[in-house]
Order: sequence, then C-alpha cells, then structure tokens
Amino acid sequence: MLGEFINPYYLQVASFILINIILALSIYITLASGQLSLGSAGFMAIGAYTTALLTTNFEVSIIVGIIAGTLLAGILGIIIGIPSLRLTGVFLAIATLGFGEIVRVVLINTEEITRGAIGISGIPQLGKEILTFFEGFGFDPNNLGLTPNQFVFSAIFLVLLIIDILLIWFFLRQKNSRVGRAYSAINMDEDAAATMGINVTYYKVLSFTQGAILAGFAGALYAHVLSYISPADFSYHKAVEILVFSVFGGSEVVVGAIFGASFLTLLPEILRSISDYRFMIYGVLLVVMMAYRPQGIIDERMLRWVKKRFKGGKKDGTKREEN
Amino acid sequence: MFLEQLINGLTTGSIYAMVALGYTLVFGVLGIINMAHGEIFMFGAFMGVVITTTFGLPLWLAFLVAAIVTGIMGYLLELLALRPLRKSSESSHLAPLISTIGVSIFLENAADQYFGSGNHPVESGWLDTSFTIGSVTIYTVQLVIFFIAIALMIGLSYWLLKTKGGKALRATAEDLDTASLLGVNTKRMITATVVLASVIGGIAGILVGMAFSSVNPQMGLAIGLKGLAIIILGGMGSVKGAVVGGMILGLSETVIVAIGLSGYRDAIAFVMIIIILLLRPQGLFGKKTA
Repeated sequence: MLGEFINPYYLQVASFILINIILALSIYITLASGQLSLGSAGFMAIGAYTTALLTTNFEVSIIVGIIAGTLLAGILGIIIGIPSLRLTGVFLAIATLGFGEIVRVVLINTEEITRGAIGISGIPQLGKEILTFFEGFGFDPNNLGLTPNQFVFSAIFLVLLIIDILLIWFFLRQKNSRVGRAYSAINMDEDAAATMGINVTYYKVLSFTQGAILAGFAGALYAHVLSYISPADFSYHKAVEILVFSVFGGSEVVVGAIFGASFLTLLPEILRSISDYRFMIYGVLLVVMMAYRPQGIIDERMLRWVKKRFKGGKKDGTKREEN
Repeated sequence: MFLEQLINGLTTGSIYAMVALGYTLVFGVLGIINMAHGEIFMFGAFMGVVITTTFGLPLWLAFLVAAIVTGIMGYLLELLALRPLRKSSESSHLAPLISTIGVSIFLENAADQYFGSGNHPVESGWLDTSFTIGSVTIYTVQLVIFFIAIALMIGLSYWLLKTKGGKALRATAEDLDTASLLGVNTKRMITATVVLASVIGGIAGILVGMAFSSVNPQMGLAIGLKGLAIIILGGMGSVKGAVVGGMILGLSETVIVAIGLSGYRDAIAFVMIIIILLLRPQGLFGKKTA
C-alpha cells in the first residue's frame, strides 16, 4: 500500500528544504534590487514568535497566527526598510544585522513573555492540526493505508509544497513584470533607473518588504512544523546560512534559490560525517563563490542555454555559447 | 562607586576602540567592511589562552605570538579572500562583504572545533591584583589594558601622521590610483593595512581575554559587531571616530549595567547604530559623501 513508500524522516527533510527555499527566496528578492539584508533571521524570529505566542496563549487558529506573524514581519520590514534606504549596501547589511541582534536580545530578555533562552514548546503542529480537522469529518488515515504519523508528515509536506509552488510561480511572474524589471534596473544602476522614471525609493522598500514578509512567513511555518522554537534558532548563523543558500545556488534567478536551499539542506543529511563541519564548508563556499562565480552556480546564461537545448533544441544545441 | 564605574567604562571603551581601529583602517584604505576582523581578534584572544593557560608561559610571549599569528591571518585573508575580488572587475560591491562573512564563519567554527566551545580563562599572573586608593578599588589588569591601548593608539597616530609609511597609507586611502601614479606601492600598502589591522585586533583580543578573563569562539562575533557599531557611530574610516566611538560605547554599556539592565548591554550598540544612521548617516567625524 501507499504506507510502505512514506518515510516520515524523508518527508521531514523535504519539509525543511521547502521552508529553506522560502528563506532563500527572501534573500533573492532583496538582492534583486541590489540590497543585502542580514536581518532575515530576525524577521523569521518575528514571524515564528508571533504565531507561537498567539496560538499557545490565546487559542488562535494556526492560519490566523501565521498570517499575523507574516504581516507583523512585513510591517517591521517597511519600518526598517524606509530609513535604511538612506544607506548604501554595506550600511544596510550592518543595520539589518543589528536589527536581527536586537530581536534576539529582546527575545532572550523578555522572559515573562517569551520564556527567554529556553524557548517556546508545545506550539500546535501543523500536521496534527490537519489530522484533527479531517478526523472531525470522520476521516481515518488508515483508510489510505497510512499510520497517523505518516499522515501528519505527508500533510505538512503537501501543504508546504503547494505554498512553495505558488510562491515560485509568483516570483517567476514578477521577474518579468514591471516590478521585476524595475528591480533589475535599480540593481544595475540606481541613478540611471531614477532617470528613466523609476521610483527608486518605492521599489527598494517594496523589495525589502517582500523579503521581510517571506522570512516572517517561513519563520511562522517553521514554528508550526517543529512545534518548538528558541532564540538560538534565529541567530546570526541562521542569517548567514540563509545567505549561503541564495549566494551558492545563484542569487540572480529564482531557480538558484531553489537549488541552493535544496542542495545545502540535503548535503549534511546525506553526508552525516560533514555535519559538524557544515559552517566551515559554508564559509569556504562563500569565499570561493565570490572569487570565481559571484552570481552563484546557476545564472541567467546557464538557464538560457538549458532552455535552448531542451526547447528549441533540434540542431542548434551544438553551437552553444562557450562559458 | 562612580569612579570605579568610570574606570570600568574607560577600560572597556579603550578595548572597543582598538577593535574599531582595525575596521576603520581597512575601510579607509579598501573601502570595504572586513567582517572577519572579529574572528581574527578572537584568534588573538585564544593565543593568549594557549600560551598562558595551556603552556604556562609568560604573558609577554602571548602578545608576541598573538601578533605574529593574527598578522599571518591578516595576510592570508588579503591574499585569499580580498585580492581575487579586486582582480575580477564584474564582482559587485557586496562581494567583499560576503567573502569576509565566509571567512568569519569559517574561523568561528574552526575555533569551536579545535579550541572547544565554552569559556577558556587567560592567566594574567601577577597582574591579577588590585589596590585601593581611598574608596576606589583599581585592578592592575585594568590599568595595564588602558595603558597598552592608549600607547598603541598614540603609536598608530604617530605612524600615520609623521612617517613615510603612514603618509603612503593615507595617500592610498585618499585615492588608490593617484597614489599608485605617484609611486606608492599600493598593493603592498593594502596588504600592510590588513596585516596591521589584524595585529591590532589580535592584541585587543588578549586584552579582552585579560579583562573578562574568559575567551570563547563566539566572542569574535559579539565584539566584532560592536566594532562595526563604533565605526558607524564615529564615522567610517576615521581614526578619531573609532577612538571616541569606542569610549562612548564602553561608557554607555557601563551605565546600562550600573542601572540594572545588564541583559540589554549587547543591544545598545545596535540601537546606537540605528539612531546614528537616521540622524547623521556619515557618523560623528565622517565626511559626507555625495
């Protein structure tokens, strides 16, 4: 039956990949307009803690909690984004890094609300809630040949998969829209973009806020998938990890974020022995990528080549560009 | 009480100022933020632990070893993480930032693997005494830290302002191409700057180890972030700004601890960054850029 093919461990790894893809997209979208944000872990924490506190203390439903967390991250994104516009790349990175650290310090110190460094446990788990919801209609996972546990993990995976597909579709569409083109114009040359009549301020805040919303959303999902969060989950290391996903995979294209997040989440799972050295490898990766391939593994040129090869590829596959 | 707090604040402040000097020197010459500076500083502190506690050797040797090791690290940083970026013309202005973040995360986790996480003590030997003047207790180690920091800063200012090498460095910072045309070996100046900044950072590392008598792999990040806050406060690339900013941060942290909010001590630096970026983005002593 179906049950024999479903392994909760694989599904959990797959779910983490899907969450990490959302995080990598949040870096992709801010970098699209030439801004480097190191605050993604901070926005993630805002999303996660908002929904965790709402659902554990006030019996709010998961959906409302996630929406609230995402919105709050977005609002903070605007608040941080507008003043940060006065800053060029390097300053923005430090200001956002500072924001992330402030969030972490506040979370550790407001013990009566957030339970400090211990973190919040017993957050309603997304899969279990879905199971109880369906059980309300007299549904039994055994009818599908699944144990409740298998059903829980499959449900999380499917929900995240649908969310990811929608997000990826949205950002692929956005890339070739008015907004996406404004982003790349600003990325290439801000002054030239302004001369062409692009409202640089508006689009930079928009791109920064989109990144904050995505990070907050991913954080909220993370809280309901793991059902336990603590400030240590949202440290500077997390921000760097998210940055590596995007920079390694390819920061110019949506596919790069997907590839980077999937590959780098899978790597320590497959090669258990390297998981202790994970961050050392990330460090070396960042240095090597910047020196030899700053745009990441997958770039636009590669995508064009692949497209040519498989779409119109009858004979012209042979006269490909030399990289 | 007040005097003791003032001394505490000035000691911490002088260490912060030294860390900030490393950032400001590199920014002044290369126009980049060296995110790995905090970790080089942390390695300096660990040299103090290894020499004094593990091998039981005298403290002055620790300073020497730390200066040499961090100097070599600075050279390697320039060679491996910064120089390749200057060669490729297409890399963006974010490339050095990301590249040095890579070095920092590598060094932090390397230290965690080889020195072990958790706190390591630095033995400061006979310096670990205190004396009392009136009602004020002064720790010898605080005085030593303060005087080493001041001596280094005076030495650095003298070198920058009065010697040929310092002049070449300032010329390189002013305009790389022009300095190069006028016969300054800018390539060597850049390497020298990164090495010098790293050595200052390494010595600051031992001083911090002595001041708080604990060293851990995460301290590079914590102190490095404060150094960044200080150069934003004082003005990027300004030596005076680094010193004044360091003192301001050291004193304000002492005040926060004294009024009983010690948990928020580490957040002040960032609140300060955000305020200064809003009110005076170029910093206290910075030059306004177009």
